Amino acid sequence: MALTLVSSNKCAGGFQKVFEHESTELKCKMKFAVYLPPKAETDKCAVMYWLSGLTCTEQNFITKAGSQLGAAEHGIIIVAPDTSPRGCNIEGEDESWDFGTGAGFYVNATQDPWKTNYRMYAYVTEELPKLINANFPTDPEKMSISGHSMGGHGALICALKNPGKYKAVSAFAPICNPMQCPWGQKAFSGYLGPDRSTWEAYDATVLAASYSGPQLDILIDQGRDDQFLSASQLLPDNLIAVCSEKKIPVVFRLQPGYDHSYFFIYSFMNDHIKHHAKYLNA
Amino acid sequence: MDLYEIRGGRLGVIAEEAELQELSRESTAMETYNVGSPPSPTAAEDGSDGEEDPFKEGETEGEIILIRDQLQEKVAEMESFAGHLEEIFLTVEENFGRQEQHLEQHYNDVLQTLSQRQDESAARLEEEKKSKLEALYGQLLACGQALDASKELIETAQEVYRSQDKRLLLKTVMPTIKRIEEFAKDEVDLTLSTCLEFNTPLADLSDVKTMMDSINVVPAPSAPVINPQMPNSATQTSLRVCWSLFSDDTVEYYELYYRPVLEDTPADSTFTPQVSKVTLKETHCTVADLLPNAQYELWVTATNTTGISPASEKALYMTVPSPPVIKQRECSSCPEAALIRWESGNTNPVDSYTVELREMGADGTESSITESIVAVPTCQCLIQLQPGQRYLISVRAVNIGGPSDRSEPISITTTGTFFYLLEDTAHPCLSISEDGFTIFYGDEELPISAMALDDNTFTRCVAVLGDLIPVRGRHYWEVEVDDGTEFRIGVAYEDTERNSYLGANSTSWCMRHILSPSRHKYEFLHNGWSPDLRITVNPVRIGVALDYDRGTLSFFNVNLEQHLHTFHCHFQNYVHPCFSLDNPGALTVHNSIEAPEYTFI
Repeated sequence: MALTLVSSNKCAGGFQKVFEHESTELKCKMKFAVYLPPKAETDKCAVMYWLSGLTCTEQNFITKAGSQLGAAEHGIIIVAPDTSPRGCNIEGEDESWDFGTGAGFYVNATQDPWKTNYRMYAYVTEELPKLINANFPTDPEKMSISGHSMGGHGALICALKNPGKYKAVSAFAPICNPMQCPWGQKAFSGYLGPDRSTWEAYDATVLAASYSGPQLDILIDQGRDDQFLSASQLLPDNLIAVCSEKKIPVVFRLQPGYDHSYFFIYSFMNDHIKHHAKYLNA
Repeated sequence: MDLYEIRGGRLGVIAEEAELQELSRESTAMETYNVGSPPSPTAAEDGSDGEEDPFKEGETEGEIILIRDQLQEKVAEMESFAGHLEEIFLTVEENFGRQEQHLEQHYNDVLQTLSQRQDESAARLEEEKKSKLEALYGQLLACGQALDASKELIETAQEVYRSQDKRLLLKTVMPTIKRIEEFAKDEVDLTLSTCLEFNTPLADLSDVKTMMDSINVVPAPSAPVINPQMPNSATQTSLRVCWSLFSDDTVEYYELYYRPVLEDTPADSTFTPQVSKVTLKETHCTVADLLPNAQYELWVTATNTTGISPASEKALYMTVPSPPVIKQRECSSCPEAALIRWESGNTNPVDSYTVELREMGADGTESSITESIVAVPTCQCLIQLQPGQRYLISVRAVNIGGPSDRSEPISITTTGTFFYLLEDTAHPCLSISEDGFTIFYGDEELPISAMALDDNTFTRCVAVLGDLIPVRGRHYWEVEVDDGTEFRIGVAYEDTERNSYLGANSTSWCMRHILSPSRHKYEFLHNGWSPDLRITVNPVRIGVALDYDRGTLSFFNVNLEQHLHTFHCHFQNYVHPCFSLDNPGALTVHNSIEAPEYTFI
């Protein structure tokens, strides 16, 4: 699979690059961002996958999140894919900002007309890691995942559905229980159909209840003044309750004054990178 | 005195003694050999007897060893005896030499005096002779004059007689006859004016006599010179005193006096400490049964047949102090250092302390190298150490007399941070286990009387502080609790308000666990404020990591290696670990743990 370099900027001693490739899962050209820390010039590095939220592309994270200094310090490669397939010309894909383009929800769609292209789950968990490991100095055993909002939901489900694959997981304002919130219900019914039992496979709260595998250590930051929190889109309490029940280690921090924006992400990105580094560099 | 005779005589003594020794040795040997047969008086001849007899296996082995040991003892005794004798020889020679000199001088003095007397007497006689001669000569002259006068008279008379001139004769004959008559009447003193005998008065030789007498009398000795205290010659209870003679005095024996010097002289000097006395022949003495860390006044007199010398100068000696006692519960350590505290071990002050440390190898062997820190002025010492080692540390007290014995050592391991709890900060309701690391908050109500009158204890929060070593660096410890314990654990400044709750003020930072009917709640408190956190797995073993340089205090769930929270604060002063129980329960502190890697990322 050929990679085309789209852009490269020196940043924090390393390089922030953007590549484009022809995706086999998504059947379209996809861009993704890769940050290569200074360590990557000489050694193999661990990889952290960042999943962005609704309406984002591969650009938002690399320009607004302030992750490069932390990544350089800890010698971690950060890969940030796009949030959905682009340019597939599917009818209705641009109708809403919370469904279709920029709102892949990290599922493998089963419903038409989405099922051909909207396979973000497979893209993120299979295709992308293979691509990254083939083209960059990575340690394939050292992978972790994180994300914001919809991407937070994506990070959580990827970790819960693949015990042992990700050495660390964290999230910013994740959608914890999509089956119970308007966003999730809209997306799942569109991508997965009316049968709610098929939704369970992509719901972090449900997955946590039946999780069995290596011990997790989940760090979640949530802005207290997040409008979507108060709009009951995120529902962290549900996840916490289940994790308390099932003894899945979570540290959930409610940050006063913070909202849903990248300003919030920026403020706590270092803590998350440290959290990942602890496990990736162990 | 013929030296050789003396020597020979003494040697003769030795020879005899040696023989005796040999005999006695052999006889004891024989005694053990002749098991069963009686010991013979002239054992030397009977040497052969015992040989065949009891060469019983095993028994003789032991006996042989016994004999060998005895022989070795005897040999040692002999050697020391010989050494002793040599000393005596030398002393006798010295003494002899001195006596000889002494006599020479004495007699010289006497001779000098005598010749002086002789001169004096001779001079006097000369004088007398002269005066006698003068007197006689004077007399002689007078006689001569008288003779001349008479002669002249007679001639005049003869002339007158012979004179033809009768008229002149008649004129002068009468006066002349008168003159002759008068002259004849003059008595001529023909007695010698002086006696012809010389007066030789008895020479006053009394002082010569005393001088002669005193030759035989040895003068009383002059005051000995007592030496100042030699370093390292004193022990806790004894002093080694030495002195010497000022001149070549003969001394029979010495008397050493000593008494303790009291710290405070009482107002009425009725109570004076007793003076003790030791009589001895040597010029040194080890005085025992003394008090440690005490000053003593010592002086010595020398005595011989004539009398006692004046006392020497009084010397001040000091016994070495008693060893200090390390306060085990007040010592703390971290990977780079240890703080040792001790009690002086002496009622009176000492000059300083010396701290000694030796590294212990992994196999328990002690290093032969001891590092010493001298001139420690107070009863505590912060020592720099290497991380990951084990040390044995002991303390000595030092005064002018020297260093005390080593105190009982304390073992310090520079793995992780180690501290005990500051028990006198504990709230009265808090009890601490025997080993000092578990605290209990019991159910029982405490009587009011038990409530602290002490400034140092916590009065509201049932808390206690830990005695963290005052070293800025990284420290790590763990706290074991159970699910139901409501606790506060963290750090606080030493002067944190004792009537306040941990975390409620600006001088303390802590993690708090609250048990509510529905769930567990966790807070990270400072200044009464906590972030809003949820923790899904309740930590039962909490790691606390303090980093002074980075200004962080972090909490971890040790079992999950999960980071819980970090306070960011520049700690102005040193902080102490703090622990409190908000409901009846217990918690245990674990330290001396090497901080896991993830704690200081």
